Amino acid sequence: MINTIVKKELQENIFSYRFPLFALLCVVLIPLSMFVNNAQYAKHLRDYGEQVRLSEESSSGLKIQDVMAGRVAIKGFRRPALLSIFDQGFENALPRYYQFTQDGYTQGESASGDESLLSTQGKFDFVFLVQMVISLIGLLFASDVISGEKESGTLRAMLSNRLPRDAVLIGKIGGGFASLLAPFLAAFVLGLALLVPSAFPLFAGDTPARLAVLALASAVFILIYYVIGTMISASSAKARTSLVAILLIWSGFQLVIPKLSDMLAALISPVRTETQVSLEKSLVNNTIETETAKELGRQYDLIFGSAKPGAADDPKSPERQKWDPLRDDIQMRARENKAQQIAAIEETYAQQKRRQQNLAVDLSLISPSAAFGRFVADICETGDLARTQYLEAVRSHQKALDNALFGKVKRTLMMHSGGRMSMSFQAEPVDPKNLPKFTVTPASLADTFKENWRSLLALAFWLIAPFVVAYSRFRNYDVR
Amino acid sequence: MTTQSPILKADDLSKRYEDGVLALDHLNLDVHGGEVYCLLGANGAGKTTTINLFLNFIPPTTGACYISGIDVNKDPLEAKKHVAFVSENVMLYGNFTARQNLDFFAKLGGKPNLTKEQYYQVMRRVSLQEKAFEQRVKNFSKGMRQKLGISIAIIKDAAAILLDEPTSGLDPKAAEEFQEILSELRKEGKAILMSTHDIFRAKDIGDRVGIMKEGRLVMERTREQLQYEDLVKIYIDYMKSEPLTA
Repeated sequence: MINTIVKKELQENIFSYRFPLFALLCVVLIPLSMFVNNAQYAKHLRDYGEQVRLSEESSSGLKIQDVMAGRVAIKGFRRPALLSIFDQGFENALPRYYQFTQDGYTQGESASGDESLLSTQGKFDFVFLVQMVISLIGLLFASDVISGEKESGTLRAMLSNRLPRDAVLIGKIGGGFASLLAPFLAAFVLGLALLVPSAFPLFAGDTPARLAVLALASAVFILIYYVIGTMISASSAKARTSLVAILLIWSGFQLVIPKLSDMLAALISPVRTETQVSLEKSLVNNTIETETAKELGRQYDLIFGSAKPGAADDPKSPERQKWDPLRDDIQMRARENKAQQIAAIEETYAQQKRRQQNLAVDLSLISPSAAFGRFVADICETGDLARTQYLEAVRSHQKALDNALFGKVKRTLMMHSGGRMSMSFQAEPVDPKNLPKFTVTPASLADTFKENWRSLLALAFWLIAPFVVAYSRFRNYDVR
Repeated sequence: MTTQSPILKADDLSKRYEDGVLALDHLNLDVHGGEVYCLLGANGAGKTTTINLFLNFIPPTTGACYISGIDVNKDPLEAKKHVAFVSENVMLYGNFTARQNLDFFAKLGGKPNLTKEQYYQVMRRVSLQEKAFEQRVKNFSKGMRQKLGISIAIIKDAAAILLDEPTSGLDPKAAEEFQEILSELRKEGKAILMSTHDIFRAKDIGDRVGIMKEGRLVMERTREQLQYEDLVKIYIDYMKSEPLTA
């Protein structure tokens, strides 16, 4: 019996004027979005390749004197995410590169500087189309699925037969959803087919799996909106009432809740700005360096104040034998102290930020759209996870460069009594060809699922809860 | 020739809506196989409520109704196997052809394997024009829709047929054709309960005629009794009489 209803819903939708319009919309917009974003991705990839080449050329001619003079700044570039073709996410907001110096790392400019003001309203990509356009169409398709049939009287005709109401509901959802899914998937496949001639690595690595998850998540998302629409339709006596309710719910889920959640989280759990944190770290750095320079100057003056001339330059002199380990000990303690204090500042900041982000995520999960958006952005490697991985790679690369390059030069700054300053260097040889390469390891699919358990749970909730409500409403629905 | 036990039976059936309106007041009624029962009454008299109760679209407040001996309220799905329904404005899927509509409702009615020719035969039987068989229903006249509606009832081959003001708005020729089909169905042994405003049609086709007023069955006459009585006068007298609740 369910099959009969599914088939009827499919036929009814296909014969209606809405279906060809929707199919046309999908077949035009989805491949177009992929095509346009693929061209953009190819351009970013070319830029990336060129910048990496130039950066490597510049590093290969690096000399230890440049490091001693503090002139070395090594750039680590982020490779554009392949699946940003489907979901731009943070792709253009993330820095294109980070710059590494012996004093730490700083972020370079992002690609968002090239964008127009209108891009702030949402970027034209596959996920945008699913979230903003197809979800609305799904809701509109479902708006009259029950109330419309009541108004036209066909629901009475149907239910005068030996037909359980749950079969009607499941059949209607199944058939209506299938009529949305078919053109949507066809357009998706067509879009992928159009990417192949442009050397899009469709079968490279885990790309096929990610694309399959993306298509599946999008299908589930459309189903969620179709079920929500059915729930509203089963709760209204008139199709027009359903329509008004649907538009209100859609704007709440799509436009209000996701944006409001970030604002509320910022109000409930405020976090210092990055500039404040950076200033705090600089203050710690300067204070410790000054204190260390003073201590080194005092000890140096004590040891070498009454020594015979040339003792400071003779490594075998008794004064040098005493000074060298003492200097290393003071510098090591200073380094450790600085590292501890800066780590504490960073950890506090990270904790506060994590708390705020978690709160924003939890609040936003009231909307299925936010849950879907977060999950698919991570699947496409342009979401929160990609940002975290990028920053982790930056921190790790800074450490690697400290060991392989910046740590090869030891500066000793001393502040003597009377305010006189002096600086000395100790340098080890550096092989610029063997410097570590900057790479960002993307999160695996399994990790992406693990990190997104809340979003997945929210999507499951939004699939089941409206169905349960729709079922209970339709069981008692007045068909007269 | 009617069946001994009734196919349709209302037993002390009452319905009071949530707003307090008593739509049906202790109705007792039975319709046997091979019999056409016409329910007459003004708007709001309880005719459609009676049909809605037989179709389990609403639950009764008290009493019960039975189709082929099955309590509709207790086992609605089983009861609906034995009943077909034709409404005043037969509502069909406008974007489907006549045959597609027939096919869909035949499957819902438990006839999944009928051939195109079988559908055509039923549509020929109700005198639907041949060229309309594969036309979309949205352009059909009311008479054509009504014929298709009765085709759906015929193809279900149920023991009982409920008709809610089926001739309302039909032109005389179409109404006449409709009446002929009902006569054939009666001959096949169907129990037919028809609500209508059309006193003349009721007198012509009804084996029994009941008049409803304010939810009560206030009068019932057989075809034989009506040969000697003026149904129009009886009906108008009842309509003009004092309200029952007053």
